[in-house]
Amino acid sequence: MTAKETTSVEAGAVSVPYGHVIGNEKWRGSQIARGLQGKIKLILEDGLGFVDFHLSNRSCILYISEADLVAGNGFKRRLVRFRNASSLHGIVIVEKTQISDQYFPAVQKFIVLELGMTLLPVANQGEASQLIIQLVHEQSKDHTSNPFLHKKCSQLAEASILRTVQQIPGVGKTKALLLLQQFVSIHQLCNASVQDLELVVGQTIAQQIHAFFTQTK
Amino acid sequence: TPISAGLLERKASLCILVDSREISSGSEIISSLKAVHGVKVQVCSLGGCDYIVSNRMAVERRTQSELLNSMNRNRVTQRIQHLQSMFERICVIVEKDRIKAGETSRLFQRTKYYDAMLSALIRAGIRILFSSCQEESAHLLKDLVLVEQRKNVAICVPTEVKGAKEEALRFYLSIPNISYLAALNMCHGFASVKKMVNSSPKDIATGAQVSQQKAEEIYRYIHSGFDLQMLPEKLHAKGKSNT
Repeated sequence: MTAKETTSVEAGAVSVPYGHVIGNEKWRGSQIARGLQGKIKLILEDGLGFVDFHLSNRSCILYISEADLVAGNGFKRRLVRFRNASSLHGIVIVEKTQISDQYFPAVQKFIVLELGMTLLPVANQGEASQLIIQLVHEQSKDHTSNPFLHKKCSQLAEASILRTVQQIPGVGKTKALLLLQQFVSIHQLCNASVQDLELVVGQTIAQQIHAFFTQTK
Repeated sequence: TPISAGLLERKASLCILVDSREISSGSEIISSLKAVHGVKVQVCSLGGCDYIVSNRMAVERRTQSELLNSMNRNRVTQRIQHLQSMFERICVIVEKDRIKAGETSRLFQRTKYYDAMLSALIRAGIRILFSSCQEESAHLLKDLVLVEQRKNVAICVPTEVKGAKEEALRFYLSIPNISYLAALNMCHGFASVKKMVNSSPKDIATGAQVSQQKAEEIYRYIHSGFDLQMLPEKLHAKGKSNT
């Protein structure tokens, strides 16, 4: 039984066409299915095991209703078995209503902190369908359209290096520039002898800089 | 038994860094962390980060209404991008808005923008937790500290620095994309600034408790050559006029 469910989880996972959702047959005629209509292509299939909706080849949704929460710990077993059987990223959508609200903190702790899964609360199936639409859109979008995925191009180091050198007590912008023109990098500056430093900034500051780099307490 | 005594000891050392801005906007979180959860709270200027719960994780606290429309889009995304440049892991706590005096209850109208924002965060591997009030946020923060402690990445250096160490901390903090905690770890992990500057990437990773990749980034920065021609005009000109 477990083995069969395992394979069905994996099998469904590899065949989600772009912009589609593969849903568990049990959702036929539901408010979620109706909410998705016309927005994204929903294919309903049997044998998805624990999964309610496959969003892509990598992620899927497990839905926990208000009734599931009130009924006890059955949903926990389902989530744990999914976690053990599948390498998919599981997004758990939980119905957080006036009735199930009291269970939410414990459920969140279990799902996010103990199982390391993602949890998103919704008030009802209508909200769930709207959320699923956005999740699917995000999955089918280009990487670069997600502001949290594209790498910021690194700034020029020069301004930072100047700022770092100015953190040395007694060194302002003018002295920092003089030092960097002489010693080129923070590494070289740090390894300069007092005599070397004196040639650039004078005795007192040279000693102060040297002390800053070498003091151990 | 010695085991439970050890556990108690570890639990007692739970530590969290809180940005000084949270004193006004999250006062109940701070007092709840201290009084209810017995967490050691160190308030300091974290520079663009609300909470640090471990060597690798920052926590950003946002109210639900801030994520409902694009009005705050730039501010929110820039904050999180900034955290991404410094931390391996980021968690966003989405907190329910407070009911202000005079308001009966605020109805939460879910928007497409809100769902899209959550979707984008999830795809980027950012964790999201939901909280109904500041007390609950405090609870979540403590839980995060505990989870991170279990994974051996808890904050374990003294969080207050004085004298020469404080000067060194300021110096380390000016390294680009370094977290407050990595800088703090450096203060304690290296006997002197010179020792740190002369370290290999591997030693930097150990001393600062950062990833190998981050350590290499720091190493490159320390060794990178300063080219006056590449300095932005503004800084350049000012420096010249003084000589």
